[in-house]
Amino acid sequence: MEAQLFENAFGPADENEISAVAPKPQTKPIIEFRGVSKTYATGTHALNDVNIQIHPGEFVFVVGASGAGKSTFMKLIMREEKANAGEVIVNGYNLTDLPRKQVPMLRRTMGIVFQDFRLIPTMDVFDNVAFAMHVVGEKPNVIRREVAKALSQVGLGHKARSKPAELSGGEQQRVGLARALINKPTLLIADEPTGNVDPNMSYEIVEMLSRINKAGTTVLMVTHEHNLVRDFHHRVIMLEGGKIVADNAEGAI
Amino acid sequence: MKIQSVRYLTREGFRNVWVNRLMSIASIGVLVACMVLIGFAILLTKNVNVYMSNLEQQNVVMVYFNDENSVIYQNASQLSSADASSNSSDSDSSDSDSSAKASSDSTSSGDSDKEEEAPKIPESAYLIHNEEEAKKVCAELEKIGNVESVEFISKDEALKRAKETALSDMAGAFEILDEEGGNPMSHGARVTLKSMDIFEQTIRDIEKTAGVHSVVSHAELAKTIADIKSGISMICFWIIGILAVIALVIVSNTIRVTMYNRKLEISIMKAVGATDAFIRLPFIIEGIILGLVSAIISEGILYFCYRVAADSMGDSFTLSVPFGEQALLLFGIFAAIGIVAGALGSAFMIGKYLKKEGSEFKAL
Repeated sequence: MEAQLFENAFGPADENEISAVAPKPQTKPIIEFRGVSKTYATGTHALNDVNIQIHPGEFVFVVGASGAGKSTFMKLIMREEKANAGEVIVNGYNLTDLPRKQVPMLRRTMGIVFQDFRLIPTMDVFDNVAFAMHVVGEKPNVIRREVAKALSQVGLGHKARSKPAELSGGEQQRVGLARALINKPTLLIADEPTGNVDPNMSYEIVEMLSRINKAGTTVLMVTHEHNLVRDFHHRVIMLEGGKIVADNAEGAI
Repeated sequence: MKIQSVRYLTREGFRNVWVNRLMSIASIGVLVACMVLIGFAILLTKNVNVYMSNLEQQNVVMVYFNDENSVIYQNASQLSSADASSNSSDSDSSDSDSSAKASSDSTSSGDSDKEEEAPKIPESAYLIHNEEEAKKVCAELEKIGNVESVEFISKDEALKRAKETALSDMAGAFEILDEEGGNPMSHGARVTLKSMDIFEQTIRDIEKTAGVHSVVSHAELAKTIADIKSGISMICFWIIGILAVIALVIVSNTIRVTMYNRKLEISIMKAVGATDAFIRLPFIIEGIILGLVSAIISEGILYFCYRVAADSMGDSFTLSVPFGEQALLLFGIFAAIGIVAGALGSAFMIGKYLKKEGSEFKAL
């Protein structure tokens, strides 16, 4: 059962199989912004009256120039920041008045992939992935089994005992991806996951994310790379000056 | 928190000590330095206390019994004091070391009431005529609560000792007395006291005992010993207290540096949904491990230094407190300091980072 779930999370390699498990449209949004504004203590207006809905099973690119509000948009979803006005609802949690103690529970419903990988340098690859399972109190035998599978899925089974510093950027990002998905989240947030990898690896990573999405996980990816957005034909949200200026389907920028 | 999580986090605590070994060594070094200093202060206090107690035990008082010789001297003394000017009483009072305390009190005051009390000694009922009676007085002295022991010294033995210890020009005087057939000494006793705390009360009790003529004591020495003892105890108490505070401050600072170096780790833990307790526990366990390791090392260093110090001291001055007797106490204190400093330091210091989110860590 666990193995099957994991396979679903990463998705099958065969494209025909992928289409067979495509998510069913659901009415209740997994992410919802209602009139959200965010102004930092420095006076910077990062977001201004943002209204958006993202439904389960969607793959959404978030694009925009530097300072457009992309990072703030993601931080509000991860509850790294709180909105000054409006409501942010993620995975059923209303983040407007979410107690601090509930924040870890919210984050366990999502996987996060960072541009700078954020792997613990003193832990090897296996432990970096296993760590996320320890956080949720998973049993050691389950952790051993699932982490081994996850690493072989991202093609790093043979580097389980390597330290992050011994891996290339692409490999490190695949470890980050395995960690983000190991607890089978319903929502995957990728903050410029291709920013520190070569172009070929960028495509490989987005392909991997697409497979994960096809298996049912909602994916929200921030990127600067317009060619990726054009080639992968997913919904695109464009931010500019803290406002959503475009929300297009099928990779139209 | 689930049991498997606790097991994992305990393992992580141990792993962190090894992985961050440079910081671990720094923390242990600081802790050991403070603990060793505290240990030295404790051992110094203990040794001074024991040494002072030994001095107290050695501080005996000489008790002279009331016999025909003491009556002769008393009467002679009264005659001379009657002839002497009123100023002579002041000079008598300054000779407190060699004169009977009761006598000196009465003579130094100069009051007419006390002058009346002075001739109490010649009462025949209290005169000691032989050794048997003198030993009975010794038995009475032993009954006084604060008296540790009583050693009877006969008048013959007293004369013998006086001859042995007398200066060469004085020895002749004793020889003459001996030839004349008269022993000028009185029966007496060396009385050892249990505690110096009730010294004056005990002296008064001895003086009140029937058959006692006078008591020669070193009251000032006793007071000095007590003052030195309490002074050293107070100094060591403050040294220990200040060092304990310094240990806590330095260890907290070391932990803060450790936390700073590991802020990335903490931010990642938070990002994957770790609770505050989950993040905090390995750091606390790490702190406890460092504290205990420091305690063991400190104990070893202290033992070694103590042995070296004990071996290098001459016969005239030795360390009175065996290290073995204090080993458990010291380890308990060290472990407590280590655990409190390590665990509480970690728990408090990490609080600052637990309130931060994602990018805020970069600004720290």
